[in-house]
Amino acid sequence: MKNMSSLTRLSACLIAAGFSAGVIAGEISGQSTTTGKPMSKNLVSVTQQLLNASAGDKNHWLHPNGSYEQTRFYPASQIYTGNVSKLRPAFIFQTAVTESMETAPLVVNGVMFLTTSYNHVYALDAVTGEEFWHYKHKMGPVTTYCCGPNNRGVAAYNDMLYMGTLDAKLVALDAKTGSIVWETEIADPEKGYSETMAPTVVDGKVLIGTNGGEYGIRGFVKAFDAKTGNLLWTFNTIPEKGHEGVWAKADATGRDMKRNIANEKKLLADNGGDFYQTLGGGVWMTPAVDLATRTVYFVAGNPSPDLYGDIRPGDNLYTDSIIAVDLDSGIYKSHFQYVAHDVWDLDAVSPPIITTAKGKDGKDRKVVIHGGKTGHVYVHDAKTLELIRFSEAMIPQENMWVLPTPEGARMLPGANGGVEWSPMAVNPGLRMAYAANLHQPMTYHVEEAGYPGGDKLWLGGAFKVIAGEKQWGRLAAVNIDTGKLAWKADTDQPLMGGALATGGNLVFTGEGNGAFNAYDARSGKKLWSFNVGAGANSPPISYTVNGKQYIGVAAGGNTQLDFKRGNSYVVFTLP
Amino acid sequence: MKNLLLFLAAALLAVPPLAASAQNAEAGKAKAAACAACHGADGNSPAATFPILAGQAQRYIYLQLKDYKEGRRKNPLMSPMAANLSKQDMLDLAAWFASQKTKPTGFVPDAAKAAKGKTIADAALCPMCHLGGFSGQNEVPKVAGQYQEYILAQLKAFKTRQRTNDAGNMTAVVRSLSDEDLDDLSHYIAGLY
Repeated sequence: MKNMSSLTRLSACLIAAGFSAGVIAGEISGQSTTTGKPMSKNLVSVTQQLLNASAGDKNHWLHPNGSYEQTRFYPASQIYTGNVSKLRPAFIFQTAVTESMETAPLVVNGVMFLTTSYNHVYALDAVTGEEFWHYKHKMGPVTTYCCGPNNRGVAAYNDMLYMGTLDAKLVALDAKTGSIVWETEIADPEKGYSETMAPTVVDGKVLIGTNGGEYGIRGFVKAFDAKTGNLLWTFNTIPEKGHEGVWAKADATGRDMKRNIANEKKLLADNGGDFYQTLGGGVWMTPAVDLATRTVYFVAGNPSPDLYGDIRPGDNLYTDSIIAVDLDSGIYKSHFQYVAHDVWDLDAVSPPIITTAKGKDGKDRKVVIHGGKTGHVYVHDAKTLELIRFSEAMIPQENMWVLPTPEGARMLPGANGGVEWSPMAVNPGLRMAYAANLHQPMTYHVEEAGYPGGDKLWLGGAFKVIAGEKQWGRLAAVNIDTGKLAWKADTDQPLMGGALATGGNLVFTGEGNGAFNAYDARSGKKLWSFNVGAGANSPPISYTVNGKQYIGVAAGGNTQLDFKRGNSYVVFTLP
Repeated sequence: MKNLLLFLAAALLAVPPLAASAQNAEAGKAKAAACAACHGADGNSPAATFPILAGQAQRYIYLQLKDYKEGRRKNPLMSPMAANLSKQDMLDLAAWFASQKTKPTGFVPDAAKAAKGKTIADAALCPMCHLGGFSGQNEVPKVAGQYQEYILAQLKAFKTRQRTNDAGNMTAVVRSLSDEDLDDLSHYIAGLY
């Protein structure tokens, strides 16, 4: 905050003077810079074949969630339950940005691509931590976003990287140099659109959703041509017609949501359904892709405004839903809505995972699972999205679904979940899903509020935590064949950041107090912990270079939960 | 944006490109002559009745001016001042005040009230939008270091819905807080500098 005017003048002088060497060039945004170390010769082209094979890949980490299936299961077992206690830091990479890190880097043959808040990207040596280049996005004049200036990572495809930005652009970078190849606008940031998610790339298509459910956007997933940046298709998460749905009385678990459906029908008849343009349904996290059926799975978030429902009568399709669309056309295939006409912001955020679990008939089948802010893991048939089962509640539930009041109504879970954006991990051999949960007792407050124009936060109320009531976190292991909790490991602080599972029967997750932990995937016993010095609130990753396995996590803290900020990426290995 | 640049500048000890904003700020400086009597030439207002604009989020200043002009926010002094501003005027003024440095008001918070205020702020999840330290971002104002009396007046205005250009968010937050709570909050926030 300080010395702005002098910095401004300094900036103007230096730019005017054509200062372009060394550290000054290093800080001009919209370009890449290097520290003088040429890109590693090990960098390879990320072919479609490599991307397809990533679920079984024991070397690279090519997707933010490990693979198109997004299991976050790294099959290598060099680091395992028997030796994890010996894990030591290999290097600590310090970025230039001390702010919330929800990012999961990619590792391509020993080269790491790491993002930070405010859309910086670094290429570094994944063994030594030496920097190859640093890219800073030139931010437009208007940004509108909720919950911190996060970025959750890049996608890699052939020789390029792709990143969504806070000012709702999609940028393509040359992976070797960090130079920008093209940039395109995804949506209008003045209308509340922004990007924090990592895109995914399949067969030349870059898939990306949008934030903005707190600003009255109309959510979407778009596909862009990876070579040119041209828009190929758009799937709107809010249909123009039919968003009122089936007037569902109960949520996915069968509990009454206390809707006044007669009144909603009257409001819809009186006022019409044009609010589809501001009904929200943001897509916060990377979609999963089933290459066999060419299906894209993602979840859509809350309706806008979050807590005030009278302005948006109906089920508000496809908010709070898991959705399947065709990869090549973006055409709707199926959906399943968890909470119709949500007035609690207990929406669907955590990225879906494609895996195998028992169907209702007891036979194995392909399923898609999602960890909800409600505190349930939902298991769906991959073909129809029919709900096969939902897990027992992973965290306390209370007073569901009491309607928000102006003075505030208490209900558990609080509006952050359950499972927030944090990606789950799956150990397919154990048939367990690992979910990072929050327990934050809250009151829900409603306040009548019209659409404020896209340029202001629009919650239609507020949530508040209850002073004096303890908050905590829980890493929960759910048996996806039965829905039963296999084990739970409680933590002092609410968990946000996500999980990694490995072939060494380990589960990794971090805490806001800096503790980065490893658990036995079968029992939940904590086997190792290391304090990284700031909130460890990013999804951990693993990779192998020259036969040595590494585990990485960001120590950047978190804006949403106001955990201690840092600027580092910390990588561990065995001595 | 300015906030962001400030942040980056601080984080990098660097020189972000400010050409476009800097131009706005220069233009805004000239236009701000009309504001100086109440808000001070550099946005550090001399009296608690008038908010400090120096160092405020650029986007927030712009949106408030727009709201005054278009009647969503009302004040007998500000409404006529904003009525004839063009969009460019408002952008320039916002750039100017945002580029100025907040000066301390000299306010000394009551320690007990400030401690209670922090508890209330954490429970109300204020930092989720205003950020830890109430430094603001984008359209969400910086409140740290503002005059205590002004903060309290705004909180009360939201509570009684005399001020309604918050899309309901602030009203929902403060409605269930007592006047004493609001006083505690104002002591806490005004003491953050």
